[in-house]
Amino acid sequence: MLRLDDLHAQYGAIVALRGVSLEVNEGELVALVGVNGAGKTTLLSTVAGVMRPRRGDIVFEGEPIAGLTPETVVRKGIALVPEDREIFSDLTVEENLRLGAYIRRGRGEYGADIDRMCELFPILRERFRQDAGTLSGGEQQQLAIARALMSHPRLLMLDEPSLGLAPKIVDQVFALIEQLHRDGMTILLVEQNVTRSLAIADRAYLLNMGTVQASGTPADLRQDVDMESIYLGGGD
Amino acid sequence: MGDFTYLLISGLSLGSLYALMALGLVIVYGILRLVNFAYGEYIMVAGYTLFLLSPSPLPWLVMAVVAAVMAAVMSYLTERIAFRPVREKSLTAMLITSFAVSTLLQNAALLFVSPRARVVPTPGIFSETVIIAGNVTPVREILAIVVSVALLIGFSILLRKTILGIALRAAADKFTMTRMLGVPANLVISAAFVISGLLAGIVAIFWLGRTGSVTPGIGLTPLLVAFVSTVIGGMRSLSGAVVGGYVLAFVTIIFNNLLPGDLYEFREAFIFTIVILILLFRPEGLVRGRG
Amino acid sequence: MREILGRAPYLNTVLTLLVPLVLIAAATDAFGGTVQQRIVTTMFINMILVLGLQVYMGNSGIVSFAHIGFMGIGAYASAVLSMPPDLKAMTLRDLYDVLQPIDLPFWLAVTVGAGVAGVVAAIISYPLMRLSDAAAIITSFALLVVINDVLVHWSEVTNGPRTLFGVERFTYLWTSAGVAFAGLLFAAWFRESRVGLQLRASRDDRVAAQSCGVNMVFVRWVAFVLMCIYAAIAGALWAHFITSFQPGHFYLEEVFLILAMLVIGGPVSVSGAVIGTILVTLAFEGFRALEGYLNTNQVFGTQVFGLTEFLLALAMIGILIFRPAGVMRGRELRIGRRHRGGRGMPATKERAAD
Repeated sequence: MLRLDDLHAQYGAIVALRGVSLEVNEGELVALVGVNGAGKTTLLSTVAGVMRPRRGDIVFEGEPIAGLTPETVVRKGIALVPEDREIFSDLTVEENLRLGAYIRRGRGEYGADIDRMCELFPILRERFRQDAGTLSGGEQQQLAIARALMSHPRLLMLDEPSLGLAPKIVDQVFALIEQLHRDGMTILLVEQNVTRSLAIADRAYLLNMGTVQASGTPADLRQDVDMESIYLGGGD
Repeated sequence: MGDFTYLLISGLSLGSLYALMALGLVIVYGILRLVNFAYGEYIMVAGYTLFLLSPSPLPWLVMAVVAAVMAAVMSYLTERIAFRPVREKSLTAMLITSFAVSTLLQNAALLFVSPRARVVPTPGIFSETVIIAGNVTPVREILAIVVSVALLIGFSILLRKTILGIALRAAADKFTMTRMLGVPANLVISAAFVISGLLAGIVAIFWLGRTGSVTPGIGLTPLLVAFVSTVIGGMRSLSGAVVGGYVLAFVTIIFNNLLPGDLYEFREAFIFTIVILILLFRPEGLVRGRG
Repeated sequence: MREILGRAPYLNTVLTLLVPLVLIAAATDAFGGTVQQRIVTTMFINMILVLGLQVYMGNSGIVSFAHIGFMGIGAYASAVLSMPPDLKAMTLRDLYDVLQPIDLPFWLAVTVGAGVAGVVAAIISYPLMRLSDAAAIITSFALLVVINDVLVHWSEVTNGPRTLFGVERFTYLWTSAGVAFAGLLFAAWFRESRVGLQLRASRDDRVAAQSCGVNMVFVRWVAFVLMCIYAAIAGALWAHFITSFQPGHFYLEEVFLILAMLVIGGPVSVSGAVIGTILVTLAFEGFRALEGYLNTNQVFGTQVFGLTEFLLALAMIGILIFRPAGVMRGRELRIGRRHRGGRGMPATKERAAD
């Protein structure tokens, strides 16, 4: 479904990706792990069109999408929930969701989509008319995911969805990701919580210094790689 | 009491225009972080449109609408032709471009019209007066208040109820994220410039109505006013800019009436010193606004 | 010689730029009439302003409007200080009594004028230097408005909004050229100096520079004060060249002209400042001649105004769109080995101040 081929990207003067190739198949949950600064966030930003690749291809459903603008990429069916959630704090929860459905204007499914989201995230119904800035961290993360889902993506990219959340909320977030996966959503997950993301992933890639160091099933990865290095390097 | 009513009405009237000027500047600033030095020239463009239309048999109201639309068109064109190509380069490049666009438009007026003031048509109602609380009050001032308040309400409905309005507010907060949801960058920016120009055009009708004429340099004062108001309002907040406009108007009127002559001469220096102090010590603005 | 140049590449740049500049000055001196003398003298005065702006804006990446205000301060201070008392009695009726008898020689008046501007700039600007982006731009703009308002209304020193007459002429071709040469040498040295390098580092990456121990506020402040001293010296020379002027001269039109020169040449390098000044002067005089021709021959039947500034603004927008780092693209001119940028570093492209 998504294929990266020899992708190079840099952030200012810092080279962040040095020839990354990876693949995500339809219906898969693929985890992307690695220490801070390994290039995970850069990879997601480049796929989302926020950063331009310096070299290499990004192919989504057979179509090259490298170098497209963010607003075009989301129309192709890729949604990114960025690392710090990027909730519009001065907008209400409803307005956040409404913007999430921006590319689906005129389809008349808005009401049904909202209902679906409120079913998935009951807290959002309670907070519907509240400013998103007043939500707690966990609630904001749910809103960010819901907002991304409003665009009906075929590929959902999640960047550190459990970052900064209380352990109980982290459980909820992982449960939710598993549920989305069971419902058939293709997911590319970047997580600092390596154990938990490997536990739910179908396959995983280990990124180091901007290149893929290892890949395979979570079991393969656990066997091949000295996982301690990731935990230690991961900091948190 | 009579004095108070008089000050209140002239303060509200001036404040309404200041508020619209500030709003027009801040709506672009919020999204692009561009301090648009060419903003005052959109007012000038509306003025010269009125002047050029004055020999025509059109009713005044139609001329006024055309003038306001022309300001919006000019704002859109400057974005499309000058700002968009340098947008990706740097903030500094965009700022210098806006300064160059300002100079370009002013000198275009000098070149193609005249350095001398030109008379703009004003409707009869602008020179009428009514007595309110024993004071002779120009109807124009009342009209300025009514039209501005109606515009502010309409604008706020646009921002809250339409998807474009929500996208504009979102873009002012997190531009890249807004794009990641599928809102095209160019659409939001163009919309912001069109609204900015339209506000300038509507302000122009009342602002020029005060003197009844337009000059190539007419835009400087509104630009300064908009700068100061947005700084008072905290630069990033639309409602703050509106409140900042009213605050500046009342401060100006109080200065006019209370400051002794010697100090009154230095009122611009005072006001801009305050601007510097606000940016240094209260960059979030003197008035807390949101949205 | 070669060894010195190798160790101090900025000297190579200065010498490379000085050759044509000296030739221009000498040729004007030998063959130019009054008009050419006026144009070239003004060009060198503008060059001082542009070099000063380069010292601050080119190295820090922050646009400034305020320096033209300091040009005004330098002009008025040196004019008032050097005017003979009997003339003062006639032209500056509201002058403070203390200033009345002061009658300094020209060079001393210029120095004191520059010193006054430098002290004022040093005091006012220090707290402003921590601001960046829009806040920095608006404060520098606000500072220009404040200085202008004070010049316009402080009749006790400036004669108010009216023209100040009777300044004696002291500035001639070689005066302005000589000062511009010195300013060029200093600006090129400053760019490679410790403070200059730190300032450029903070322009390219504020966070990284500060984490390397660069005191950004301090290095910006040094450059800002230097810029204001440059501007004040230029203002003083200009006052003693033009001999009558008013506060309105030190405002947005002058800001635009000087900014256009630097932006068109390329703000990052000293060569850009020099080349930009020359190019814009040529264009400006060319456009002005065209405007004059159109007017004297009544080509359009009416007087043409604003053509020069109109075309200049157009050129500036074109440069910003198609060649944003200016004609020089951030490089320094050097004879011999093709050095790019400072100290063998790759050419520093102009980067965002954000």
